[in-house]
Amino acid sequence: MKKSKVLIGLILAVALIFSFGVSQSIAADTIKVGIVLPLTGKLAKFGEIENKSFLMALKEINAAGGVNGKKIELIIEDTTGKPDVGRSAIEKLISLDKVVMLGGGYSSSVTWATIAVAQQNKVPFLVNTGSADKITEQGWEYIFRLNPPVSEYPGAFASFLETIATDVKTVAILHENSLFGQSGSKKFVKRCEALGLEVLMKEGYEAGAIDFKPLLIKVKAKKADLVYMISYIMDASLLMRQSKELNLNPKLFVGGAAGFTLPEFKKNAAKASNFVYSATLWTPSVPYPGAQAYYDKFVEIYNEPTEYHGAEAYSAMYVIADALKRAKSLTRKDVRNALASTNLITAFGPVKFISYDKKTNQNKLPTFLVQWIDGNLETVWPKNVATKGYIYPIPKWSKR
Amino acid sequence: MEVFLQTLVAGILKGGLYGLIGLGMSLIMGVMGIINLAHGQLMMVAMYITFVLSHYLGIDPYLSLFVSMPALFLLGVVIQKYTLNPLMEVDSILPENQVLMTVGIGMVLTEIARFIFTSDYKSVRTSYSDATFFLGEISFSIALVIAFFIAIGFTLFMFWFLLKTDIGRSIRATAQDKDAALLMGVNSKRITVITFGLGSALVAAAGTVLMPVYYLFPDIGGPFTRKAFVITILGGLGSTVGAIFGGLTLGLAEAFGATYIGMAYDDMIGLLIFILVLLFLPGGFKRLTKI
Repeated sequence: MKKSKVLIGLILAVALIFSFGVSQSIAADTIKVGIVLPLTGKLAKFGEIENKSFLMALKEINAAGGVNGKKIELIIEDTTGKPDVGRSAIEKLISLDKVVMLGGGYSSSVTWATIAVAQQNKVPFLVNTGSADKITEQGWEYIFRLNPPVSEYPGAFASFLETIATDVKTVAILHENSLFGQSGSKKFVKRCEALGLEVLMKEGYEAGAIDFKPLLIKVKAKKADLVYMISYIMDASLLMRQSKELNLNPKLFVGGAAGFTLPEFKKNAAKASNFVYSATLWTPSVPYPGAQAYYDKFVEIYNEPTEYHGAEAYSAMYVIADALKRAKSLTRKDVRNALASTNLITAFGPVKFISYDKKTNQNKLPTFLVQWIDGNLETVWPKNVATKGYIYPIPKWSKR
Repeated sequence: MEVFLQTLVAGILKGGLYGLIGLGMSLIMGVMGIINLAHGQLMMVAMYITFVLSHYLGIDPYLSLFVSMPALFLLGVVIQKYTLNPLMEVDSILPENQVLMTVGIGMVLTEIARFIFTSDYKSVRTSYSDATFFLGEISFSIALVIAFFIAIGFTLFMFWFLLKTDIGRSIRATAQDKDAALLMGVNSKRITVITFGLGSALVAAAGTVLMPVYYLFPDIGGPFTRKAFVITILGGLGSTVGAIFGGLTLGLAEAFGATYIGMAYDDMIGLLIFILVLLFLPGGFKRLTKI
């Protein structure tokens, strides 16, 4: 017993010395920025795309001379997609690594748990994906958000409903049951009411289910015109495959971003992915400088396609670098002030943090509607950025 | 009515598969008295084997049963022989050391899978993955129906195996009373090794037949370990018939819960039954079936 205690003590001591030694030796001439992403766990795929995009942008920025002669150093922590782990990761970054600011933040639940820590410690945190509305509704001056909140995801889709799909009258909403889905579905119900649509059902599900048929059979029985789904990636694929199995034929299948825009969706849902619509925040064809270039470069380096999550991370890195560059000094307070006065055009769109409705420090951006057409994710709405004509209503399964 | 029948079908088909997942754990738990918390992770390994065979060699998932099951049997044997059995001899602070060891093994397997295959989602697409047939208005997924019959087949086989073969009898003897079995000349160490191998092979079968309809990534094991645990408790330790009833109960409860209460309460419903069984039927369905 005694021996093992001594041993554990020794190991801890060595570990402590080591961690201090390492962080102090690098600290000299770099600016440390902490990033929290889910690199393992069931959201790891999203974290991976963002991680790669962060590193890609970091390389470009440091190669171009860094920030006022200093290089940026990213300390990337894994949240494993769990709020409690995310929280301790942020605490570690703030107190042990002493980062000047924070970035990343995937999944609303994890981000929600972490931003409070950042605010308490007065460390600026640029959230680039966590999209539950309440993240920027607390009036916390150290929390900034690059991406639009989830309630605004279906912006382009709403205008599509008003102008093209005017015969859609009834809606079924299926959503994953964490903060992202709950928040998104509630706001979508409000939007439907504003558009004069009748919401027949709204149901959550636990992500990772094997069988969605009990849920889908209810949708089928209610005969909704529009099925709106807020799902992470593999649930999205299964939902579509099982809709096909059940011969569920609404006029429109629409995904609320997240899982429905990833290349993996097409790979896993295969034929069932065809003609599915999705809201999205970004596509390579958006009219922002650098958007297509980012996509091409990502494909060239990593040999796989990227999508809006990657663009968010890539642009967030540029926003971070820009704020650090303009900050009067490298204290957390000055960096926060610099971040607040950001006015930058990025590959993800123009970035400017404003206050509106209940939100503070929120970037406002238009959204887009995409559709999977014969294996390609085409932008179909609004018309001025469309890469292909939309197909509406989507053909019945038996007629494909 | 259509909704009710479709839910019933979904519940039974899923339940059969759950039964197969729980069967292996039940066997291991019955014989060794430990919870194998790497059960889902072993299933994950089998799923990766199926994926590799199908993706690189074009072998049909059902044929790969002949590879994944022996492979997992061997893996199970190695785990029991070289990691769990040595622990039995060590006087340790915690008697649950073996359980902790299985947790560790589960983690190691997950991280090895991540190292080799990254966190990417994989799936096996076959011509029958999305195929269905209709009886009236009720849709049956062909892959799930096949999975169901394979699960039932394995359960019947295990039932026969435990009742009629020498090794089967030794396994039951060890499960009932280890010391007595030892005195009767049963090599209980060898039996534990074989049992762990069998349990792993059974969950490998479950993973392989699940592959055409589901998907795969390194962290997929955890939720299935949890499900297997619930099924084992429902069915009763070491009971083959109990495992299949436990699986069906869980499958049906989840399906009907999803239809009539809400799919968001999926896990809650399963765990509620778990608690009810612990309270009112400790020992599980085995108490009713006596087998």
